[in-house]
Amino acid sequence: MKLTLPLRLVLTVALLSLAGSASAQDDDEKLKPAEPDFSLVSLPTSLRLPKFSSAFRVTHRFTGPLTGDFGDVVGNLFGLDSGAVIGLEYRFGIVKDGQVGIHRSSDNRTIEFFGQYGVMRQRPGRPIDISAAVAIEGTNNFRDSYSPSLGAILSHEVGDRAAFYVEPMWVNNSNPLPSALADHNDTFMLGIGGRVRISSTVTLVAETAPRLRGYKPGSHHGSFGIEKRAGGHLFQLNFSDSFGTTWAQLARGGTSSHDWYLGFNLSRKFF
Amino acid sequence: MRIHIPVIVAALALFTACDENLSKIAGPSPNLEPTFASIQRDIFETADSAGRVSCIGCHTSTGRNPSGGLNLNHDVAYEQLINLASRGKPSAVRVVPGDPDASYLVQKLEGAAGIAGRRMPFGGAPFLTDGQILILRRWIAIGAPRN
Repeated sequence: MKLTLPLRLVLTVALLSLAGSASAQDDDEKLKPAEPDFSLVSLPTSLRLPKFSSAFRVTHRFTGPLTGDFGDVVGNLFGLDSGAVIGLEYRFGIVKDGQVGIHRSSDNRTIEFFGQYGVMRQRPGRPIDISAAVAIEGTNNFRDSYSPSLGAILSHEVGDRAAFYVEPMWVNNSNPLPSALADHNDTFMLGIGGRVRISSTVTLVAETAPRLRGYKPGSHHGSFGIEKRAGGHLFQLNFSDSFGTTWAQLARGGTSSHDWYLGFNLSRKFF
Repeated sequence: MRIHIPVIVAALALFTACDENLSKIAGPSPNLEPTFASIQRDIFETADSAGRVSCIGCHTSTGRNPSGGLNLNHDVAYEQLINLASRGKPSAVRVVPGDPDASYLVQKLEGAAGIAGRRMPFGGAPFLTDGQILILRRWIAIGAPRN
């Protein structure tokens, strides 16, 4: 069979695009030492999830504060004897550079659906990676208090040593009161965070999310932690001033008493 | 395809601007809103489904002297409340626009420490719910307009 010129061109373009796609897909499957996970502590990272791959995460925030009498804190095993706010999360790569997921937090039985799409990759001449992100969450198992969110994730990796993030986010209906009873019903916040690798598998991580406009009760969310990667697993021990793991929860901030709490994240990549 | 998915999802999120339901807060007076007209109608003049009695049973000039000198009849209630001293506690102002904590009306309904006489309603529970008081507080916080 003789191939016509147009058919040859079509086949060539198709093969080239498939090769490029496969290459990017392969890149996404490679470990990025400075960005080993899809989250910092609670804020998202711009890590791409390969198409048709998935990842799972458990978040755990003990509700016993670490402040107060040291003897009491030790007696309470740094909050472990108190209850905990637990989150389960699963995400799936639906298209190249695009992922969707679901997060369920025991805080008000909140379910969050989220999506993220990598718009621009960091490369020589382009120092920033940009992703767009959307989410909508509802309390009482997604039956009450819906809060849609929009945001962007801007990141910069410094070699394979560190990664830094700036994440402008807008959360609608962040105030649990009706808007008729509140001055503000949405929040604009700026997530800021970073991760620094201190050994081949150990990284330090920190983040904060100051609320710049709108509803902003209590203290701004802040977290820091240390994490250890073991294959496709990442174990993170963290300290936070809030229990928030969803965007609206982050918008509502931490406690007004400025207490800090112990917690951990466990994540697993399935690729 | 690269652009369409995030644009569509973002648009969906934007168009899903949400709000809480005021009637959930209002509880036994589901039509209550932070306006004077609504407070007059749903709090002062009407009993609610929880069994709370209306205020104008006692605070009226119709056929009696209004209790505490506070007349909540429809045509005079606003003037009787705004920036006017309480008769039972002359140092207190019934409604201080913009300051619900300083408003004696709120203190009497919440049963705050230091009030003269009883918490309202005079006959006791059921009192206004936290949600009903929250709506009343909001009306005062936004300046207690005659709306």
